[in-house]
Amino acid sequence: MKISTGFIFTALLLLTLTPGHAQQNQPAIEQLLKEPFLDDYYSNVVYGYQIITDTQENASRYVGNSLQCSNCHLQAGTQHDALPLNVAGMYPKWRAKNGKRNGIGLRIRECFLYSMDGIMPPEDAPEVLAISAYVTYLSQGQVMGAEPQGRGVPTLPDTGYDPNPANGRAVYLAQCASCHGDRGEGIAGMPPVWGFNAYNKGAGMNDIRKAAGFIWANMPLGNGKSLTHQQALDVSAYLNLQIRPADPSNSKFLKLLEHLLN
Amino acid sequence: MISKLLAEATPSFTWKARLGNWRTEVFAGLVGAMLVIPQGITFAYLAGLPPEYGLYCAIFVTLFCSVLGSSSMMSGPNTAVAILIGTAVLPLAGRGSPVYIDFVFLLCMMVGLIQLMFWLARGARIFQYLSPAAISGISAGAGFLIIMSSLDSILDLSTFKTTFFYEKFYVIITDAVDLVNPYSLAIGIVTIAGGYLGRRYSPRYFIIIAVTAGYLCGLLIAFIWPQPVTELEYLGRMPLQWLPINIPTVNMEYLMISTKLIPYAITIAFIGLAQSLVIVRELKMETDQDINLDKEVYAQGMANFLAPFFSSFAGAGSFNRTRANQSMGATTPLSGITAGGFVLILITFLGPILTYMPMAAMAGTLFIVGANMIKWGDIKHYAQVRSELVIYFSTFISIMFFGLAAGVVVAVFLSVSVFMLRISQLELKIESGVAGTVLKVKGALFYASVAHLTEKFHSHFGEDLTVDLQYTTHIDQSAVDFFVRESRHMAAHGARLTLLINDKQRDFLKELGAGTDIHLVSL
Repeated sequence: MKISTGFIFTALLLLTLTPGHAQQNQPAIEQLLKEPFLDDYYSNVVYGYQIITDTQENASRYVGNSLQCSNCHLQAGTQHDALPLNVAGMYPKWRAKNGKRNGIGLRIRECFLYSMDGIMPPEDAPEVLAISAYVTYLSQGQVMGAEPQGRGVPTLPDTGYDPNPANGRAVYLAQCASCHGDRGEGIAGMPPVWGFNAYNKGAGMNDIRKAAGFIWANMPLGNGKSLTHQQALDVSAYLNLQIRPADPSNSKFLKLLEHLLN
Repeated sequence: MISKLLAEATPSFTWKARLGNWRTEVFAGLVGAMLVIPQGITFAYLAGLPPEYGLYCAIFVTLFCSVLGSSSMMSGPNTAVAILIGTAVLPLAGRGSPVYIDFVFLLCMMVGLIQLMFWLARGARIFQYLSPAAISGISAGAGFLIIMSSLDSILDLSTFKTTFFYEKFYVIITDAVDLVNPYSLAIGIVTIAGGYLGRRYSPRYFIIIAVTAGYLCGLLIAFIWPQPVTELEYLGRMPLQWLPINIPTVNMEYLMISTKLIPYAITIAFIGLAQSLVIVRELKMETDQDINLDKEVYAQGMANFLAPFFSSFAGAGSFNRTRANQSMGATTPLSGITAGGFVLILITFLGPILTYMPMAAMAGTLFIVGANMIKWGDIKHYAQVRSELVIYFSTFISIMFFGLAAGVVVAVFLSVSVFMLRISQLELKIESGVAGTVLKVKGALFYASVAHLTEKFHSHFGEDLTVDLQYTTHIDQSAVDFFVRESRHMAAHGARLTLLINDKQRDFLKELGAGTDIHLVSL
């Protein structure tokens, strides 16, 4: 009897002293990509990374347009102020968009539905699980519930003027059209920003203020924060006026037709 | 021997001579392709793989099996094999993840190799010992598993996918309002109803009618409610390639882990071959096709071994598609070869339409397939003989509770036991005449059946005994030892043992040491 109580005591002591199994120094993604064999978690992390960087190839089942996740989540979701993906600690949370308590899974599935203009994957789809694993991997070291530094896109201050799409068109043709094309179709691997291969009207990028924040902080690519706040708002308003796939939660008939024709 | 093996290993095309009307064959191939598309997609789902792998299986396994084989059997995705692949690989990796797919390919290569070993060992005969009741029991059990897994999709119970069926029933009954997705349930019911109504008018194409009904119902629901509300699961786009060449990943770590797959690989190889050979044997009996069973074993093994190189999983012969093929008048492998090609063409055109196919409609067809596998007629048929009924129900119940792999083991064990019991039964007849007591023995005398003799010897202890062995089919060492021992024992008590034997048996018995102590009389 004595031995067993002593044993339990030592076991409890050990349990309290051992740090949690979360790795503090986790391997970099480049290192993981070179490994010949990975365990279940890291193989899902790598798969998630591959989906983020090459969505068309690795998650084509649920994708309806020609965008990649990393077109908005720049640097595979690691760049500040460009919708970084280290947000696992922020979920679950309530969102006004669907009026529900959202887990990270539902958030990812809605990305497929709106931003990727596709089909909502089931909860247990391998693609969703892999992206969840990758988000968890990126969130390592963040504080639960606290907002990570550089989350989402910056909120632009009030410029005192309304966004002007006509002015936005001039800025777009001067600064953006060399990559995104005159008709927003996307040139040489750059993503389309309107038309039927772009995000749909339900996507977060269709919000003028969010898109303006993203454009100001990151566009033109590699030369972010070179536009003024007003220019970014103008371009965003111009993009918002263009034709793009319908919002799946509003116009069901149009959406169905789009899916059947695509 | 080697030239015989080589002849079996190469495609023979001898069926070209008896090819009557090639149009019948090609049309049968088209029907086969239409039937296999929903099956391929749903069986890929059972195996835990993306749907395109099931279609590749329907193309390439069917093609290889028909080119290498000699019968009009339709091979391809198979229910029992798909379920077993799912249960084997699920503990090793997450459903449908790249590592999961790697392990599935490794498992299929192992299955192919084991089946090729069966071929080299001339193993086709082994499957004759598997009783028909056991095969019906396995098929009914697989049907039950299919119905259970189709309920997951029809009711949209994604969180309860892996639980036991009684837990699932409990959850459905107690929490139906919260858990069951009414949209998904509606599509499922429309599909199943469509199938059963359709069967009345067109018993051949009812699966296609069912799928169409479910698809149209899904479109109607998608038109009224948006996807975020219905939470319906759709098939999605299938990234199909015409030649999906794939080199399976094989490295040290994978091989170490895949030792866990070996028991499953053996079970899959066994159950796959058992089904294929039952079909082939039926074809051989019912038609005048020139079928070599060993060649069919080789064709199935080679097709499964090559499958991973074309992004498909292992398959086996399909009862329902072979029957449809036969009813269309196909008698040569040409129908199977064309079926593979038609799947490719049909899918290229159907792909965009299939994107919006609700998984509940696919699951509805699975439900119909599963329900068809549990046949009331089988139970009635086997109820005549008690041992057959015991085999049928033990197999079915062990599959219900312990899974398909355990059920197959039970089925094999019981069939072999019943077979052994029957073989070890001796027909003994005692005649008391002028020459003393004569014991006539019919059957095989070996270690298991000698015990029956002992009783007779004891009841006639102390008398002169003549044992008539003319109708004994087989005598082994332990039987001879028994006679030697008994004859010494009887001699010690003043009695005499005489064996009546034929010429063949005499040499054999003398060799085994029966010459000195026993009185042998040749007839």
